Amino acid sequence: MTALRTGQVLLMLAGLIAWALQFLLIYGATSTLCGREWADATFLGLGVVQASILIATVTALAATAAAFAWSLRGYRSAEARPVSAADRFMVQSAALVNGFSLIVILWQGIPAFILPACA
Amino acid sequence: MNAPERPESFERREPELPNALPRPAGEFEALKRAWKSPRGLSFITDVNNTYVGIWYVGTAFLFFILAGILALIMRAQLAVPESDLVGHDLYNQLFTMHGTVMMFLFAVPAVEAASVYLLPNMQAARDLPFPRLSAYAFWAYFVGGLVFFGTIFFGLAPNGGWFMYPPLTGTKYSPADNADWWLLGIGFIEISAIAGAIEIIVGVMKTRAVGMSLDKLPVYSWAMLVFAVMIVIGFPAIILGTLLLEMERAFDWPFFIAERGGDPLLWQHLFWFFGHPEVYIIFLPATGMVSMIVPAMAQTPLVGYRLIVLALIATGFLSFGLWVHHMFATGLPKMSLSFFSAASTAVAVPSGIQVFAWIATIASGRMKLTTPSLFVIGFLFIFTLGGLTGVMVAMAPFDWQAHDTYFVVAHLHYVLIGGMVFPLFAAFYYWIPVASKHALSERLGRWVFGLMFLGVNVTFLPMHITGLIGMPRRVYTYPVDMGWDALNLVSTIGSFMIAAGVAIFIYDLARKFRFASEDNAGNVWNAGTLEWLPNGQYATRSIPAVVSREPLWDQPNLSKDVEEGRYYLPGTATGGREALVTSPFDARPQYILQIPGAGWQPLLAAVFTAAFFLLLTVKLVLPSVVCGVIAIGCVIWWLWETDPGPTRPPADIGGGIVVPVYVTGPMNHSWWAMIVLMVVAGMVFTCMIFSYLFLWLVNPSAWPAQGFVPPHWIWAAIAAALYIASAILIDRASGNLRGEDRRSPRSVPVLIGIALVLVSAASAVDLAAQWRAGLSPSAHAYGAAVYALVSYQIFFVLTTLVMGLYTIARWLTGKLDSVRRTTFDNTMLFWYYTAAQGLVGIVVVHGFPRLTGGI
Repeated sequence: MTALRTGQVLLMLAGLIAWALQFLLIYGATSTLCGREWADATFLGLGVVQASILIATVTALAATAAAFAWSLRGYRSAEARPVSAADRFMVQSAALVNGFSLIVILWQGIPAFILPACA
Repeated sequence: MNAPERPESFERREPELPNALPRPAGEFEALKRAWKSPRGLSFITDVNNTYVGIWYVGTAFLFFILAGILALIMRAQLAVPESDLVGHDLYNQLFTMHGTVMMFLFAVPAVEAASVYLLPNMQAARDLPFPRLSAYAFWAYFVGGLVFFGTIFFGLAPNGGWFMYPPLTGTKYSPADNADWWLLGIGFIEISAIAGAIEIIVGVMKTRAVGMSLDKLPVYSWAMLVFAVMIVIGFPAIILGTLLLEMERAFDWPFFIAERGGDPLLWQHLFWFFGHPEVYIIFLPATGMVSMIVPAMAQTPLVGYRLIVLALIATGFLSFGLWVHHMFATGLPKMSLSFFSAASTAVAVPSGIQVFAWIATIASGRMKLTTPSLFVIGFLFIFTLGGLTGVMVAMAPFDWQAHDTYFVVAHLHYVLIGGMVFPLFAAFYYWIPVASKHALSERLGRWVFGLMFLGVNVTFLPMHITGLIGMPRRVYTYPVDMGWDALNLVSTIGSFMIAAGVAIFIYDLARKFRFASEDNAGNVWNAGTLEWLPNGQYATRSIPAVVSREPLWDQPNLSKDVEEGRYYLPGTATGGREALVTSPFDARPQYILQIPGAGWQPLLAAVFTAAFFLLLTVKLVLPSVVCGVIAIGCVIWWLWETDPGPTRPPADIGGGIVVPVYVTGPMNHSWWAMIVLMVVAGMVFTCMIFSYLFLWLVNPSAWPAQGFVPPHWIWAAIAAALYIASAILIDRASGNLRGEDRRSPRSVPVLIGIALVLVSAASAVDLAAQWRAGLSPSAHAYGAAVYALVSYQIFFVLTTLVMGLYTIARWLTGKLDSVRRTTFDNTMLFWYYTAAQGLVGIVVVHGFPRLTGGI
């Protein structure tokens, strides 16, 4: 696969990869911090568990928003000039996947602000 | 020579026919000769997807029947309270085997089997890229599956439930061989599934009709691609789980024994990291089938193609964030549970997208109420109900009430029967005209549907109530006056209605199904996709160029032109079996893949692989090892005939396109397969690291185990240096093979040989360091985890050893040179992976205890 095609695949999956990393981080952090009884520590005034989830969620949202904006740009560009159907498909799919991922990442982070950390 | 990866815009133009008429005399006959099946007993050695696919589907259906019979016995037992039709021990075996056989021997193999048959036809490929691998996967499954099922007749069947939770399945509570049959029997059937997944990934990406770019890929192919990737990511967790539990049972390595630092919850994590995606692994191919059937029945293109592709990919990802929702009752922190709850509700969205897309397609066309349509409607109804109860049990507080009750039994059967069995029956009715002289009877089909649809609801709808009023699952009987009597009787009546429906289906199948290729029933549904092209054992006479997702609707003369040989590769360029390999995005012709034909090798390799595992189960170690060695010998015999090199000059396939008959490097199909295999290996290794860290988490004061001082860091440095040196030598050998150093082309086998010594020494140093430091694998989970990592690495080093010696043998016999180097490339990739894995293992095993233990 050429570098361009690899880039297209990565852009298409960027939001879902960001979700997977967010999920891994928040679950891993919660399990480790609660398991090791480090949950009482604070960071920037927040409980360390909540802070970890917030940082992971905001980072994942930012990365996905960037990928979404990039894919929308590619989509508009594909509409403006003749490109192959495969190229058009890839940018359209990237916009859809990344847009959907934004909602999922946000949804995934919400529990941090409702539930106690290690109860 | 090779077409560029990025094309100019050419879509929606009717392609010019690349080959003119009349075709040269003898061209078609040569094609037929190349694909002719062996006669007599040797017929079973054929590897053509047309045959292997049908055998595979037939075997999967046989297991459906067998597991269904087990279910009927259980329902008969539960029909009345305090029944003594079967005792508790047999009942335990019955429900364990029912679940295990349905999930591992029916559901996954059935969808994989269907794709072995359908994918090449749907993509107008002559075959899948590794037909012998398909045959190996099938025969391993066939032999191993039947022997595994046979254990029920000898009281040896596993009896710990289909998810085999320790400590119940540990040696303390299950000392007999029953659990071993599950662990070893299912373990290698998973390997068969992974072999099929590799085949499917490479097949979907590289063997398609010309012009079938990703935007024109049938939804079924997308579904199978996501399915196969999910197997590659998900199955390694259960392979590792079975490996660890078997090592605990066989060698007393305490991964799951709490008194010695293990934790039974580790098994649950590993099992469900596979087990929940498993549900989608069988559901997504079924949705792919539905997405092919609905447009044909409504005679209109599928609505929302891009959204459906999004839904498939999103489901593939999200389904890996659900596994703990099977563990809501294990006492994990509520915050952790909520992550899985959130993902469990989120995954309903892509499933909903697909359901609405099908409804919109039905609404935008004129749906014919055929038997496949009825099964699709039944699927929508039953699966949606299962999905709704799924959202209920995704809520932790509700799940705590319903956990391990018949409510869950009802939910999972609604999901699995609705989401997989009904689409599969729709697929049987829909695609049998491709594989048979006659379609199945529509009149009997309505009876089959009616009985199955009513039967499923009569059986499982009452179970929601049975569960909510307290009946636990897996009890072999229940007392009178619990209020469960009538509900259970109704469920039993329903189960026999399903059986009656299936019996009529079998009767119709026996009456109507007559295997055919050239003289099949034809396009009886006026469908628009390529599997309905006229075909034979060689698949289609020529490889079409397509301009849309429904080429038969948009290119009216396509069937005739393909049959006359007016499209690409209308004969055989090399005189043997071939497939046209196309670029993964735009489906432009890249090269002709020379496909191996019939042979005993994959069959024998599969039989001896099965024998290796099955004999190990009954502790016949020496015969087992002998069978393992023979299996490896058969694989080497099989591989020896592959990697043929450029046996012919580049060939003209039509339309002025000339493609090579052999390529190496990243374009080569086996390079792709090796990359996928390395992902599988990497996933097993990642799960192993997860297990190591998980056990550290539950052992805050014993990591490393008390009193143990890890080996001096110098041993780690030596082992790491040896791994790096071996990889550098292989890189050097690669350069010399390319001719970068013309003074020493003969150094290639020498370099490989030295690298073999170094890589072996690296793993030996690593093992010896731990052993000399006095670490015991059975005293504590720490030791077990360390030796598990080291042992896994040794397995890879041994494999590298075999591959290295094989590569040297090919050099010595003149089958390896600067051009004909696919074998070397595969060995090289595997070598790099082994070295990298060894280095990561060293960092974990030597570095982590120092980081956390303050050593």
